[in-house]
Amino acid sequence: MAEQQEKSKNMVKDVSFRVLKATLKAILVYLLYFLLAPMLAPLFGLIPGFMESIEVFVAVYIVLMILSDLTAKTVFQYFFNTARALFFMAYLLLSMGNGVLSTTYENFSLTVNLTPFYTVAVLLSLLGFARTILQAINFMHEKAEASSNLQP
Amino acid sequence: MKKPLSTVLKEGTAMNVPIRMLGIATSIFWVLLVVFIALAAYSVKDLSFDFGEPQFTMAPEGELIFSLPLSVDNRGYYSLKEFYLSTMFSDAEGIELSRAETFVPVIPHGESTTIVHNVTLSIDSLIEKGKQYLFNDNNLNVSVTAGLNFAELLPAQISTNFTFPWGAPLYNFALGEPSYGRLNSTHATVAVPMSFENHALFDIAGNIRIELYDSVDSLLGESQTIIYVPQYSAYEGNVEFSVPLNATASSAAQNGHFNVYFDIGLVKYGPLVIPYG
Repeated sequence: MAEQQEKSKNMVKDVSFRVLKATLKAILVYLLYFLLAPMLAPLFGLIPGFMESIEVFVAVYIVLMILSDLTAKTVFQYFFNTARALFFMAYLLLSMGNGVLSTTYENFSLTVNLTPFYTVAVLLSLLGFARTILQAINFMHEKAEASSNLQP
Repeated sequence: MKKPLSTVLKEGTAMNVPIRMLGIATSIFWVLLVVFIALAAYSVKDLSFDFGEPQFTMAPEGELIFSLPLSVDNRGYYSLKEFYLSTMFSDAEGIELSRAETFVPVIPHGESTTIVHNVTLSIDSLIEKGKQYLFNDNNLNVSVTAGLNFAELLPAQISTNFTFPWGAPLYNFALGEPSYGRLNSTHATVAVPMSFENHALFDIAGNIRIELYDSVDSLLGESQTIIYVPQYSAYEGNVEFSVPLNATASSAAQNGHFNVYFDIGLVKYGPLVIPYG
């Protein structure tokens, strides 16, 4: 009975900690966006629709991050982490196109070739994606090992 | 002996270390990338381009040289590489008249560099394309492209188009009606008013030779006038001819035409045929 009570107490503590962690992380990421967005707005304003797409990106990213934190220590955490890494890569690929940023302001036309930056960012996202896959495999492996250890 | 579940999960497997290392490496590279981008963006703020007063000079080969001094002050963190400035002049139909390019291999960080971009416009070839450039004001299309390799990694290019007003050096050139006066028993003087405005960016100095023909294309007289007309000023004067006095000539000289030949330094052009009478 006491063990049962202790277990449920621990579970409440664990869930509360996860919620708190997810909330804090979400607030931190949003604060970062909130502080950086006005600084980068003049630059992003040159690209039509980029500011709106950044907002959608931040929203989806935060949601996936919260879900990942709430499902910590389960396999779903890795699903959400993988989804987040894939979403990040997809966003980079879709928003940057061929990596050449062109914009026109009045009579001036500005072209910046962001391909090197873009390539490094995509490679780093791929590394992140590989890491989440490895984490998922590792988790499943640990779980299987633990189960086999429990068997008589 | 088998380990309990809690111990297994706490210790993890051999994969934990590489995963952690991968995470740390990825984070470090992300931080480096973000720092690089932030410094590059910050460097743009410390980069200044100052265009000086454009100057026009005349080369002896009938060329007009347009010089644009440009000062690049690179106080950013990165060197600028492969900086180029390209200019193309074209007429209203888009036919290329002149093209020039200035290239600077490196502008090191913390240094200021002044370059002079020279565009040579051949007046002779301009006149070959049409005499309207000599007698009528026009607009030339100018296409300017500047590019550089920013932070040694990010190539950027900016381009713009604008029109450049071309002022005709002999704008509204006109010869008035000839007025006759008697010089002596064999010759008469013919005075012809001549006027034009120099709308060009340069002074014109040279001479204008005019031949006076009667209605049957006989040369009655010839006159040469030395002129000097500063830029943006008008010229008004009289050209005088000495023509022989005889009955045939005076009847034929009631109408005819002038052949005008210009030799005004940058430009040699003629004949311009102007009828009279």
